[in-house]
Amino acid sequence: MQCAESLRVQAYFDGEVDAISAAEIERHAERCPDCREQLHDLERIRAGLRESVAPESAPQELRTRIARVLDEEVRSEKLEAAAARPRPDSRPSRTGRPFWLGLLSGIGGSAVAAALALVMWLPAAPSPFLDELAAAHVRSLMPEHLIDVVSSDRHTVKPWFAGHTDVSPTVVDFAAQGYVLVGGRADYLDHQRAAVVVYKHGAHVINVFSWDAANRRLPGSTTRDGYRMLFWKVGDLGYCAVSDTGWDELSELARLLKSQ
Amino acid sequence: MDDKRGRFEAQVLPHLDAAYRFARWLSRSASDAEDIVQDAVLRAFRGFETLRGSDAKAWLLTIVRNCHATANRQSALRALVPLPEEHDPHDGHAMIATTPDPEHASINRDDERTFARLLAALADEHREVLVLREVEELDYRQIAAVTNVPIGTVMSRLARARAALRARWHQQTEGAPRAVR
Repeated sequence: MQCAESLRVQAYFDGEVDAISAAEIERHAERCPDCREQLHDLERIRAGLRESVAPESAPQELRTRIARVLDEEVRSEKLEAAAARPRPDSRPSRTGRPFWLGLLSGIGGSAVAAALALVMWLPAAPSPFLDELAAAHVRSLMPEHLIDVVSSDRHTVKPWFAGHTDVSPTVVDFAAQGYVLVGGRADYLDHQRAAVVVYKHGAHVINVFSWDAANRRLPGSTTRDGYRMLFWKVGDLGYCAVSDTGWDELSELARLLKSQ
Repeated sequence: MDDKRGRFEAQVLPHLDAAYRFARWLSRSASDAEDIVQDAVLRAFRGFETLRGSDAKAWLLTIVRNCHATANRQSALRALVPLPEEHDPHDGHAMIATTPDPEHASINRDDERTFARLLAALADEHREVLVLREVEELDYRQIAAVTNVPIGTVMSRLARARAALRARWHQQTEGAPRAVR
């Protein structure tokens, strides 16, 4: 009863696909009764939930409690800052400790989990660009999204990029080393048409994005939504290998590409 | 310092209602939800520097979720002594009923509330992802951040949660699994 496209249909329903994919999915649903029924059910469930779940507000009493707690917190932060004042360097808050130390000492053992959550949020905080990369990688893993030009031949993939993207990255098949070139794709990244070279390493897909990164400082490596990202630059051309495979496997591919 | 308080109120407190709703669905208890949210807001304030430019709503809901998990572990430790109020089987439904006596609700209203009742009966993982998507209207990326899993997991979990809810709904309305209106 469930069509292989059902996850994509769901993503379409949730507004998570671009205009081109949306049009594809709409065309598909016209022909596929299962997907039409799925869309109908998704709509019914959403409407039902939104009708029946009352849009509740936080009670006034809770707001008052929170205001009081924050008043106290501000007061104690001021006291702490005053106690730390003798230091000539006039950093106003805290005492030079990392904030999470303050958290741990301030609220006792039960707070450890929440404090950790704050710390874990840190690397994910500042960059919409990294989110864009992670989202592009995830989108590529949806059926039929991975590859625009299917080929293990670099002489097919490379010229295809010339017509479809703004950059011309290194394209080499490393099948002998375990990185099989499966094709290429154009993606929109950092306000330009980026080239994506797609490799398979065992069961893992590795997307190697490349784009003009002249004006962007790249991190060395990072993790986003559980995917690993490894960055490097060749001249102004920025590269980022994204995958759920291990760091060693990513680094090895980066090394091979850089050696070209 | 007062500036921090002002910025916090402007950026984070607009999401207090969402935090409270989410805590209610997680804990299925109004009084627990208040404690969780109060705890979460205080921690959010202490860690406010970590928010920077990112998404305040998802950030606050993440902290709420962690506070709920912490509270859950603590009450599991205390579970040797049953607390009747907290374990009232109707508690999860109490937040859904808008009239004190459900018998007087019209049949129509009753049908509307079916979805909320079915939602309350789902597994924690499924209830959580559906509330974030359909009630709080977060996108996949935000849900992934709040629940600390990859986007791919969000997608499959959401699909399973919807399938579970749909199955229960069909069962309840028609007695037959396939019929759609």
